[in-house]
Amino acid sequence: MQPIKILFAIAALMFVVAPAAMAEEAFLNYKSYCMQCHGMHGKGDGVNVPAMNVRPRDHSDNNYMMTRTNSEIFKAIKFGGQAVNKSVKMPAWSDTFTDDEITQMVGHIRTLCCEKEIIRGVNFK
Amino acid sequence: MKRFLLLAAIVAFVTPAPAGAGEAGTKILQNRCASCHNLTGPSPQTIRELWKRDAPDLFYAGNKFQREWLVEWLQKPVRIRPAGVNYLRTINSAPAPKEGEKQKEYDVLYGPVLRPLQHLTLKPAEAEETADALMDLKAGDSFLAGMMLDNSKQVSLEEGEVLFDKVYGCLSCHQIEPNYGGFTGPEVYTAGRRLTPEFMLSYITRPKNWDSKIWMPNGNVKPADLQKIVNYLILLSKENFNAAN
Repeated sequence: MQPIKILFAIAALMFVVAPAAMAEEAFLNYKSYCMQCHGMHGKGDGVNVPAMNVRPRDHSDNNYMMTRTNSEIFKAIKFGGQAVNKSVKMPAWSDTFTDDEITQMVGHIRTLCCEKEIIRGVNFK
Repeated sequence: MKRFLLLAAIVAFVTPAPAGAGEAGTKILQNRCASCHNLTGPSPQTIRELWKRDAPDLFYAGNKFQREWLVEWLQKPVRIRPAGVNYLRTINSAPAPKEGEKQKEYDVLYGPVLRPLQHLTLKPAEAEETADALMDLKAGDSFLAGMMLDNSKQVSLEEGEVLFDKVYGCLSCHQIEPNYGGFTGPEVYTAGRRLTPEFMLSYITRPKNWDSKIWMPNGNVKPADLQKIVNYLILLSKENFNAAN
């Protein structure tokens, strides 16, 4: 094969592999960090819920999650609940995750609530 | 010659002999603790490594613990983290309810954390020696620079609880008395006796410094509030919870 073809092949492969790997990373991050409050399946039913006076958001609640934009969710994760006029019980994760990881996490959260809408082509911005 | 150098390097790497510690304590650490605890650092650097951790890291034990507490605990170990060191192994979706029971609305703990802690129990002399050896593990010295407890920033238990619960939301994961608070963090009603004030200040300021992938977020605690929270934790640890219950 010509070198240029190999280069193209690698480029094409990266388009397929990189997002998949990052999506997996976001899934693992959700499982490790968010699960303690938002629950194993993101239903806002984590193990710490009995200790909290504010119920964590149910990420599978389609009706509510549809009303939030991606940038709002990004802001809530990065700067905490207070940054979007929600509870302080949602901490700021800016020191734990990079911006890229948070963007991926927003994508993961969208798969919990709004998969049908994504397939339909809704743009959450 | 090369082979000899390599061997020497391996020996030096595998058996770090902390200065000052008695031989016996170091031996106990190497032979009986090292299979579960990380004595050399660094902390887990990826999520997958984090999931493999069996026991708390001890490579900065000398920065972290108070010696008296260590000696006491090693002779009578009890669980400090209600959900275990690695909560990914101990949390499960609520099981289907038995007849006549209501469906639980949140995830539950299961497995070994529901039973008393399985941990080595040491004899008094061994505990003293091991504590000495642990106090020599000071990998985190650099993070303690400039950390000083300000005794003038005292708070009452009520004010402290407001900070701990309402202002910074720590109560969601940490318990401030037995069975009151979240499960996934270590209990804090013993923190004042267990941990050095400098370590608490430093850890709350930036947990990531000590444990790169830990699930405790950086709460961006204001310096004045940080002093108040640590003073509150010390005050809290003087309460006698057994008597109250």
